[in-house]
Amino acid sequence: MMPPAIIMLFAFMSTSASITIPVKVSVVSYDSNTFVNQNNYTETTTWDNYTSKYLDAVKESELLELIEFYDASDHEDEYAMETARYELRDGNIECIIVIPVEFTELLSTGYPGIIELIPDSSNAMAIQDKLNAVQDSINIFVEENDLDPEYVLQEYEEFSVPSKYNFRYNYNMTILLPFMTFGISFVLSILVVVQEKPIARLLLTPVQKAEILLSKYIVYSIVLALQVFLVLTVAIANGLYIAGSVIDLYLSLYMLGFAGVSLGMFISTVSNTKTEANQLYFAFFIVSILLSGMFVPIDAMPDYLQTIAYMLPLSHGAPIIKGILSKGKSFIGFDFFWLLGISSVLIILSFLVINRKRYEV
Amino acid sequence: MSTGNLKEVVVNVENLEVTFGEKKIIHPVSFNVKRGEIIGFFGISGAGKTTIIRVLTCQISKKNWTGNVNVTNLSPGSKKNHSKILSNIGYVPQLEELNLYYDLTPLKNVEVFASCYGVKKKEAKKIAMELFSILDIPEDTWDNPLKKMSGGEKKRVSMAIGLIHKPDILFLDEPTTGVDAAKRYDVLSYLKKLNRRLGTTMVLISHDMEAALIVDRAAILRDGKLLEYDSNSNLITSLPSKGLVARFSIENLNEEKINIIKEFPNATNIKTIRVGNETLEVLMDDFEKNLSKLIQFMMKNGLKINAMSRDVATFRRYFQLRIQEEEDKERLIKIQQDAIEEVEI
Repeated sequence: MMPPAIIMLFAFMSTSASITIPVKVSVVSYDSNTFVNQNNYTETTTWDNYTSKYLDAVKESELLELIEFYDASDHEDEYAMETARYELRDGNIECIIVIPVEFTELLSTGYPGIIELIPDSSNAMAIQDKLNAVQDSINIFVEENDLDPEYVLQEYEEFSVPSKYNFRYNYNMTILLPFMTFGISFVLSILVVVQEKPIARLLLTPVQKAEILLSKYIVYSIVLALQVFLVLTVAIANGLYIAGSVIDLYLSLYMLGFAGVSLGMFISTVSNTKTEANQLYFAFFIVSILLSGMFVPIDAMPDYLQTIAYMLPLSHGAPIIKGILSKGKSFIGFDFFWLLGISSVLIILSFLVINRKRYEV
Repeated sequence: MSTGNLKEVVVNVENLEVTFGEKKIIHPVSFNVKRGEIIGFFGISGAGKTTIIRVLTCQISKKNWTGNVNVTNLSPGSKKNHSKILSNIGYVPQLEELNLYYDLTPLKNVEVFASCYGVKKKEAKKIAMELFSILDIPEDTWDNPLKKMSGGEKKRVSMAIGLIHKPDILFLDEPTTGVDAAKRYDVLSYLKKLNRRLGTTMVLISHDMEAALIVDRAAILRDGKLLEYDSNSNLITSLPSKGLVARFSIENLNEEKINIIKEFPNATNIKTIRVGNETLEVLMDDFEKNLSKLIQFMMKNGLKINAMSRDVATFRRYFQLRIQEEEDKERLIKIQQDAIEEVEI
């Protein structure tokens, strides 16, 4: 039953994802419509402000969603760029559109306009989509204001992999690291309890069920620590670019792996046979991968699928790791605490289940 | 494994009754086990042997049983006693493949289980080596994976693990199951050896009557009822003529011919057991006096005797007769009940 169910889920996700999701942008404007006459410093000239007209075009474009507008002209908002950059780093927006100081002046004097674009380049495969979306807003702006169509869209990539690192390797590692860590820790712990035949005999010693499970958690946590260390060492040795801290990356990988161990242990305690555990593993792992946002962005999924996706560890672990690797973010944040929460709930459930389970020699 | 006072009671059971839902699994049973004894619980499947042992080893919740039960002076009825009781007892389960780590060596297996009792690694190794020597587990197998050992060796490793923490009493679930016929006596003789050398008190459950060879007292169970609880010799001598048996090989033996023998008028208390296609064993009162008369009676009634021998009944025969007697009683009760019902209708 699983393979047809997977194909149906995948088809459904893909159909719903065909609806275009607008690119989230913030606009920072340095544009000034008041200029000093170069020939007579006592005179100033005021032109129509084209920034507000461009903003109208951004709002009109179906490919863009304006999240925030920062007016940085005449020192109105000194920290506009810094704030927008934080938004970009945190993933609240996907690019910053910067309107330079001479924007209105150039347009008013018949010169081509200049717009600067700073896209989040941590996902190199999606840069072109962002460029296309901004270009759409420019087209609307030109058309509606009857302007000279000669425009310069200057692009400055943010959070891209430095040129000395292998782009493809690093791009793949942002996907592979979370999947591998979660998947391996999950698969290793799936049979831990269900496969251990002598548990019934161990329970005829003073040892309690909870102590047996606790010992499994301790051992697998230690194994996981070594495993993550090994994975990270090999990844770095092969040229992994880490924009953030290695310790943050280690801790986040460990946390994701631990969520995998907790999920595996839970399934192992719930299952009565190895076959049952393997089937549950397969179902959970496939659903985790499908809903992780790798194939279809989570935001593009139907609401109920988003709810399921956000309950699964991988949907939280992958963004943390990507954030550390590409944007230098810290591991502390909503996603990390969610992982901690999921793991805690699964641990509690596994202890409750094993305590209710009957073992007979 | 103290070899103290033989009179000391290690297990005391008074009026134990086990019920699961509406079904009564064990009818009130009472017995005790004294230090140093080997006790055997015998019965066919479903007799209730395992259920009794499960109560004694804290595996059945108190809500399912009533009665006064004490194991090493502690009641399994109280959950807080479970840990102490389990520290004081050892358990050797039926199937090794489900209860040992096959990929680990015998010594590693011992280490794992010893750690559950808080026995230190070094101490555990020392005790294990002593037990392995008593049980003749070849030294060159101690560091090999358990899966490479023979069935008998695995069983002996399992017995050693049951004794690793020097328990007051060792419970053995079907100790001869899974061991080939030739090695069954070996397993039993090793149990006796452990009992003699270390004074270990043992309670074993079995449907293999050979195990009765090593027990001091045997309990016979049927449908949750304890039919007998005594020494082998006492049980056998309670048979007619203290268990003297005449074994006849009769041509074309059938129920009709058996019924003829049962009607032998000179002797009382005639008991017959068919032990083969053409072999019948007969027990009766005043055996010596009546045997020749029985033979004459059989011949007179057209029974052709091909061979005959005499012997003393074994525990197996006692068990069969006792179960047969119980079945006959039940059959009689049923006939009476049916008759009453018919009259009422």
